[in-house]
Amino acid sequence: MSALPLPRLRRPHRPRSERVDTLWAMFRRLLGIPVVLFALATLVFIAMRLLPGSPTASLAGGGTNLTAAEIAQNEARASEALGLDQPLLTQYGTYLDNLVHLRFGESFFGSNSVLSLLGDALPGTIELTLAAMTVAVLLGVVTGVVAALRKGTWIDTTTRTVATVSFSLPWFALGVIAIVVFGVWLRWLPVLGRLPSSLDYHPTTNFVLLDAILQNRFELVGPWIQHLILPATTLALSMAGYITRIVRASVLDVLGDDFVRTARMKGLTESAVIRRHVLRNSWLPIVTVLGLQFGSLLGGSVITETVFSYGGVGRLLVQGVLQRDYPVVQGAALAIALLFVLVNYAVDMLYMILDPRIRKG
Amino acid sequence: MSDGTGSDPGLGTTDALAAAPVSGGAIRSARRGWDRDGRDRDGRDRERRGPMAKLRRLGIGTSWPAKVSWVFLVAIVLVALAGPLLISADPVRQTSSAMLPFGSPGHLLGTDDLGRDELARLVHGARPLLFVAFASTALAAVIGIGVGLLAGYAGGVVEQVLMRAVDLALAFPSILLVILLVAAAGPGMASLVVGVGVSLAPGLARLARALAARETARDYIVAARLGGTRTPRVLVQEILPNIAGPMVAQVVMTLSVAAGFAAGLSYLGLGIQPPTPDWGYMVQAGQEFLYSAPRLVVLPAALTLMFVVACNFVGDDLRDALDPKGTA
Repeated sequence: MSALPLPRLRRPHRPRSERVDTLWAMFRRLLGIPVVLFALATLVFIAMRLLPGSPTASLAGGGTNLTAAEIAQNEARASEALGLDQPLLTQYGTYLDNLVHLRFGESFFGSNSVLSLLGDALPGTIELTLAAMTVAVLLGVVTGVVAALRKGTWIDTTTRTVATVSFSLPWFALGVIAIVVFGVWLRWLPVLGRLPSSLDYHPTTNFVLLDAILQNRFELVGPWIQHLILPATTLALSMAGYITRIVRASVLDVLGDDFVRTARMKGLTESAVIRRHVLRNSWLPIVTVLGLQFGSLLGGSVITETVFSYGGVGRLLVQGVLQRDYPVVQGAALAIALLFVLVNYAVDMLYMILDPRIRKG
Repeated sequence: MSDGTGSDPGLGTTDALAAAPVSGGAIRSARRGWDRDGRDRDGRDRERRGPMAKLRRLGIGTSWPAKVSWVFLVAIVLVALAGPLLISADPVRQTSSAMLPFGSPGHLLGTDDLGRDELARLVHGARPLLFVAFASTALAAVIGIGVGLLAGYAGGVVEQVLMRAVDLALAFPSILLVILLVAAAGPGMASLVVGVGVSLAPGLARLARALAARETARDYIVAARLGGTRTPRVLVQEILPNIAGPMVAQVVMTLSVAAGFAAGLSYLGLGIQPPTPDWGYMVQAGQEFLYSAPRLVVLPAALTLMFVVACNFVGDDLRDALDPKGTA
């Protein structure tokens, strides 16, 4: 009998300078972006074609209230759009070729080009997710600092409990309850869409804030913010929970340190000490959370946009799936994947700005 | 929640404590015949009996949110199992008495736009949600723990390949993954279970790998391997029981996410298909009547929220009980 293989000894950690480590990690992540994009595109391809159940059959509308003729027609169109008669590798090649040249095809309904649909929808999603991140940071920093300063009291316990619970709250239930409470019962805020239909809005870029400046119509800004508050807060709660915990921990970490005592002895007000000395420590972990949680935020935007009838990529995706509008589903999924990769890249850049060690190196 | 200051009858009593000077509190509790430490009037140990005391000793239900959550969760499961048998109203049959308000005779919670009894729909609607949540969590646990165990035990190339795949899956918005899966396979209960299960597996895999890697390096595993135990047996009989505590807690947390996903997808119309009553779909259908009958939206949405929150607290409570060192 041969000797049994024993557990491999892991090589002892070789200490390297921190700067080299971070730079190397940064470099690898930059190299990784095209790789991740490619992987995501492949994932979308696989999801659409290789899974059980013929995509043409399910996309063409089995089980929905379409007539048999319509289903057959959709099936033919889907089959043509997919190039299903080709061998799989050829299909994959054509798919990648189309992607590189930004050929996303046309919607089955109303023959809009998918690119123009995305052009209409992307700004909405970008506005919503950016607003949600802003709300999450504001909410998370304030509650985190308060919890840390009142450590051990009921305020601290409650904040931590709420933060933990908020990680997994279902967005749709949160959203509709917010709609009922603030829109129907209290009537404080509008609950549907991006802007009231009474406003005569002709988009140039479809970014409302940008258009308000370009078209010199600042009366758009107020209603725009009002329409953003509920969906953005709904979306932000889970991320805010993470930020609360991180801010609380990092504030507690430095609160007893010498430099904080020095700052207080200089006669700085408590709020200045917190803002300029203590919170500095929290920014890097906060940015990390923003990057890590952005994926789930995008996923949440799919549901939140539907709940609030908010015109964005998520709603486009859901409608595409429900109408079996194959090119729209593919385009929207890819747009969300692209957004995801770009934000992660932006987070890497933010690291460089926030952490002088990386900048110097 | 995790302060662990719950009273601990039968365990924390020592002679030194029993001989301590009698304080006011002790006198008051002496009148009751016993105090919080489970000592009787004469300072002797007095074991508290009954199922609740047993739970206490296990460290379950230590905080009031955890207690409320346990009760709610058990109640929901009971209602889902037995409720449809107790309620006579048909959740699917449409009647002419549409949109009756709360407290209408024969319809305690009123009726919806098609005259269906709201209470019956809520009770029957608990079933699909619970089924999808439990089934997809079980699937996620099997895949996640399997992959994690293998990666943590094998190490090397196997670990690298498996964990890179897990990292990629974790980074990708999981709800988008579920939507794509469901879109490709067609909506319905089966694709919902598979989609949610697969998308939640990576999180469990990561924890299982970390725990398994730690155990693999321990002497008892080396001993088992030297003794000629086969790999599957080492994984299942040696490692699995030793990582079970933290894993169970994490699986219960996953249950809350799964419930949220399942209800969310049904809300989008991609999950359980009508006319089967389901909380997520009821919210979507009720949104049409936001102003005239907000109860049609609020009741199912609030129940979903409460279920998810309860799962969360219960998971947290289990973590405190099963994994006191906080490795998970």
